[in-house]
Amino acid sequence: MDVDGEGRKVVHLSPQNGVDAAMRTGLRGGEAVDRSPAVWLDRVSCRIGDRTLLDDVSLRMTTGQVAGILGPNGAGKSTMLGLITGLRRLSSGSATVLGERLPGGGALLRRRIGVVLQETALYDELTAYENLRFAAALYGVPSTRERVFAVLDLLGLTDRSRDMVGTLSGGMRRRISIARALLHEPELLIIDEPTLGVDVDARHAIWSHLRVLRARGTTILVATNYLDEAEALCDVVAVLREGHLLAYESPTELIARAGRCIDIDCHPDDVALVGRAMEGMQGVLRVDPTPSGAAVFLHGTAPTDEVVKTVLRSTSVDGLRVRAADLAEVFRALAVTA
Amino acid sequence: MTPWGAVWEGLRAETAQLRRSPLLLILAVIQAVTFLLLVSLFGLTGSRAPTAIVDQDGGPAAGRLVADLAEAHRSFSLRNMPAAAADAALRRGDLVAVITIPHGFSAAVQRGDTVALPVAVDNVDADLTDDVQRALPSAIIAFGHQMGFPGIRLQPAERDVLPHDTDFIPYLVVSALALDALVVAGVLAAIAVAREFEAGTARVLALSPMHPLVPLSGRLLATGMVSLAAMGITTALVVLLYHVVPINPAELILGLFACVVIFTCVGAAVGGMIRRILPVTALIFGIALPLYIDSGALEPERFDGDIIWAVAHASPVYYAVGVLEHAFHSLHVTPEPVVVDLLALAGWAAVALVGAWALMRRRMAR
Repeated sequence: MDVDGEGRKVVHLSPQNGVDAAMRTGLRGGEAVDRSPAVWLDRVSCRIGDRTLLDDVSLRMTTGQVAGILGPNGAGKSTMLGLITGLRRLSSGSATVLGERLPGGGALLRRRIGVVLQETALYDELTAYENLRFAAALYGVPSTRERVFAVLDLLGLTDRSRDMVGTLSGGMRRRISIARALLHEPELLIIDEPTLGVDVDARHAIWSHLRVLRARGTTILVATNYLDEAEALCDVVAVLREGHLLAYESPTELIARAGRCIDIDCHPDDVALVGRAMEGMQGVLRVDPTPSGAAVFLHGTAPTDEVVKTVLRSTSVDGLRVRAADLAEVFRALAVTA
Repeated sequence: MTPWGAVWEGLRAETAQLRRSPLLLILAVIQAVTFLLLVSLFGLTGSRAPTAIVDQDGGPAAGRLVADLAEAHRSFSLRNMPAAAADAALRRGDLVAVITIPHGFSAAVQRGDTVALPVAVDNVDADLTDDVQRALPSAIIAFGHQMGFPGIRLQPAERDVLPHDTDFIPYLVVSALALDALVVAGVLAAIAVAREFEAGTARVLALSPMHPLVPLSGRLLATGMVSLAAMGITTALVVLLYHVVPINPAELILGLFACVVIFTCVGAAVGGMIRRILPVTALIFGIALPLYIDSGALEPERFDGDIIWAVAHASPVYYAVGVLEHAFHSLHVTPEPVVVDLLALAGWAAVALVGAWALMRRRMAR
């Protein structure tokens, strides 16, 4: 544990991950970004009654970063976002957001933050334009019409501006809720489950819009259930489970630890052959039977091509897919390395 | 960042939403009018009990008695029937009572004899039976007076406090306006606030730099205007249909305005507490009727006993009825002056507003 220039404690979560990893991403596109902390949680806990929603969590998110909070439902992601947005109160520890020590800051701090809630929270009987105009008034956005059309344009919604929100698809509603959070040009954009309940095309469209914001230097905090989403969007990821921070590191490091997985479709009798072929192979962690055949788990540094070739040589395979580890595998890997 | 901009946008947003929900607007007006019908029916039902006269005498005294029964205040709807038909109708439930004037009634009365007057009563409802039992003696006393019977004579010498009488239904329809304001303004405001929670937009408001009540006050202005329009239509019906014309129109306008403001604030507070549209609507209907009954809506509340009267002071409807009855009929149905009633309404509005303000961000953040 170190002490910063203002005498406050900075908790390094581990020698490999923690704050160091966050600070390594200080360069983007060759440009130096502001390294002052956008969000700084120091031993933060949040309890309601005898339930602990967050327990002794520390992290430091640098300005200009895209940080992810990864965890299953009930891990404490929304609670952490609630603390940062001021909707929830700390039980202990200290939290600083955009230089304001919580729970201070009040209206002026809220003016500097944009939040996309898990639910789209739009007025169905109003048009997209009317929804945004109303939100613009809450933040005192000047030149409302121009600004509303600017964010609609940014998110590819200009031609739907006059449509009632109730008639739009889930993906479009999600994009409108992101547009709403951008209206007042926030210094910190917080997004809870950006692609919850949207189809694959909309998911990629939303990712693409977030990448545009990232390229513009917006500091973004994303809570998600999906490792691939964190990998696609984030510079650094905090992994939460049951209110505990398990890791805070770059997605690359996380995937290297959690590894990859090869899903193999084959006859059940051939699973044993796959298992034998994998014995002693470099980077292979284990082979599990699945309903469609077998799953081969690899270390992040394993030679995936070699493993695939060996599998194909060992038996007759109907299908084969290489994918990132899922959350369960991340947690397993973190438990092993803890 | 100007609060007025947020209020104005709240007003615009709510107006657009209401414009796109015409059914809600129509129901708000219909709801207001149905309460007029409700209280009118309340005034009419039970006041004219269907009663058969079986006149087996047919003499002049029998005719006099029938006339006195017919004039008994708010009691009998008389019809002449043969005995068998009357008995059958009573058993079918078509009649409340059968009054039989026996053979020789007129002759016996002329002689000064005591005559038994058989009365059969359907006692399905003790209240209705009581009405018949109360009305009969008053008709018989009137009959005795007409016939010049000897005995104790009392001639009431009535001195009216007020220069004019106010009939029951004109009194009821005016107090119904207070009930209308409570239900229409309360429900519309409660829906506007509860909808924010149901749609999840409450958290968007809580996250903004404005206090949530600032944009919501714009929305409440819109629901208040709709409520005022509904009240305007209902008041026009009271004037045109019931011919009840306000003696103090300015006071009426002020009273209705105060009622809409206060019940809008109360509705907003209730909407913020309950946070669901369906229960909030049911709750406002549920609390409206007891508040209405315990408000001097049927008669000045001070005549209903000290406890009920004391409890009524906690209800805004009590003060609203006080203001409106004075505006229409110049009646002082509350011992407090009308100005005090108006101030009490303003106080209620302020308390509801402060309550809503304190409640809103905490509730919306959850």
